[in-house]
Amino acid sequence: MAPLDDRSTEIDPLAPHRAALSAVVRPVSTAQGLPNAFYRDPALYEVEKRRVFFDGWAGLGFAHEVPAPGDAKPVDYLGQPLLLLRDRSGAVRVYQNVCRHRGMILIEAPRKIEGAIRCPYHSWCYGLDGRLVSTPHVGGPGRNTHPDVDRGALGLLEVRAHVWMGVVYVNLSGDAAPFEEAHAEIIGRWAEFDRPALFGGPESAFELDVACNWKLAVENYCESYHLPWVHPGLNSYSRLEDHYNICEYGHYSGQGSLVYSPRIGDGSDAFPDFDGLSGKWDEGSEYLTLFPNVMLGVHRDHTFAILLEPRGPAWTRERVAIFYADDSALSEPRRALRAEHAAQWKEVFVEDVFVVEGMQKGREADRFDGGRFSPAMDEPTHVFHDWVARRMGAEG
Amino acid sequence: MADGLAAKPPASPRDAINAALLAAHAEHDRSALIRCYAEAADLVAEQDFDAAAFYLTHAYVFALEAGDPRAAALRARLVAAGRES
Repeated sequence: MAPLDDRSTEIDPLAPHRAALSAVVRPVSTAQGLPNAFYRDPALYEVEKRRVFFDGWAGLGFAHEVPAPGDAKPVDYLGQPLLLLRDRSGAVRVYQNVCRHRGMILIEAPRKIEGAIRCPYHSWCYGLDGRLVSTPHVGGPGRNTHPDVDRGALGLLEVRAHVWMGVVYVNLSGDAAPFEEAHAEIIGRWAEFDRPALFGGPESAFELDVACNWKLAVENYCESYHLPWVHPGLNSYSRLEDHYNICEYGHYSGQGSLVYSPRIGDGSDAFPDFDGLSGKWDEGSEYLTLFPNVMLGVHRDHTFAILLEPRGPAWTRERVAIFYADDSALSEPRRALRAEHAAQWKEVFVEDVFVVEGMQKGREADRFDGGRFSPAMDEPTHVFHDWVARRMGAEG
Repeated sequence: MADGLAAKPPASPRDAINAALLAAHAEHDRSALIRCYAEAADLVAEQDFDAAAFYLTHAYVFALEAGDPRAAALRARLVAAGRES
């Protein structure tokens, strides 16, 4: 009789999909897309959390969500309770949002930490640097130390964090290569934009809740193939032939445009350009997904980031923030221009909603086999699938 | 009824601090909590330092949470008594 804890009886949710995953990592000309189950199956979603998100770097939030020292915001990161805060030195830090005593959630809502983080249960207190600084009554009433409770070993559980292009990235497992090393290629590609991100303020942010798996948002963002069909307004000045694919297997993918020409509202005002850009950016723009969940765009006068928050196998929150070149873009007289600019982008992103939600519905078709790609037009999407499949254990 | 009220003895200092503490808790008034717990500690310190340390601890924790400058002196009293490190 097998023991009750015999792990051999556990079902590996990936087991039925080994062959299909091998087909995903074939060259684009013969590759299949990811199988339906990777968009629907809760068991695969749980595996994906760990292998695709927690084991590497992924986007958690925006640095501007904690603009000043002491600002703290709890974040539900794929079910993990984390705490995003800015410490006294101005550095963004991320902790697991639990007390080391009884595992109580420390912070329930965004707020300013004026002194220490006090657990609401037994009032153990932590500094913004994570140190455990007070353990009231731990040795009995009015006795706040105990030889068996080593404060030095019981600080907040810190999560590796890195800020780039205004986005806070975290590596939950703690053992990924340093961010600058893991993402050296994209950092180098966009070195000209690697400067402090000036968030446009409340009118430069919006969110969309979409009924689809997070991967479909990435897949749609990566390719320009759909632009003339889904975004006819863009096509008037940004034609398909003005775009190029960007494919860096194992890192990122997306598209570039050769004809960026900003016009906001009636065109009577414009945002300032970033200083010192090379001629490539006079009319160039690029749109990349830093795998897994951060979709970025760069232009001579602004950048943006779309943070994808998976909320379940078939529900994603898209959080968008726009950044500008200098303080003059953030001035009060330009508030309306910023709002109009965000509205323009929102219109584009909303146009994509029926597509990603339609593809999600399509994943219910049980004979759909992941689909075949256009080797000419779809390779950026295949690069993403290849990355996901390999993180999930595909061999090939 | 008026006679009954008039006959009620005046609140003791301890009762007054208890009432103030309850009010401060109800209003989440951290500054008042620090003050009231420190006053409670002072009230009992000579007779019962264990009780005083309890109150001092609360005053200190609320001061620590608030980033209140009174935290340093409160901590110093606890450290001097071997109740804090």
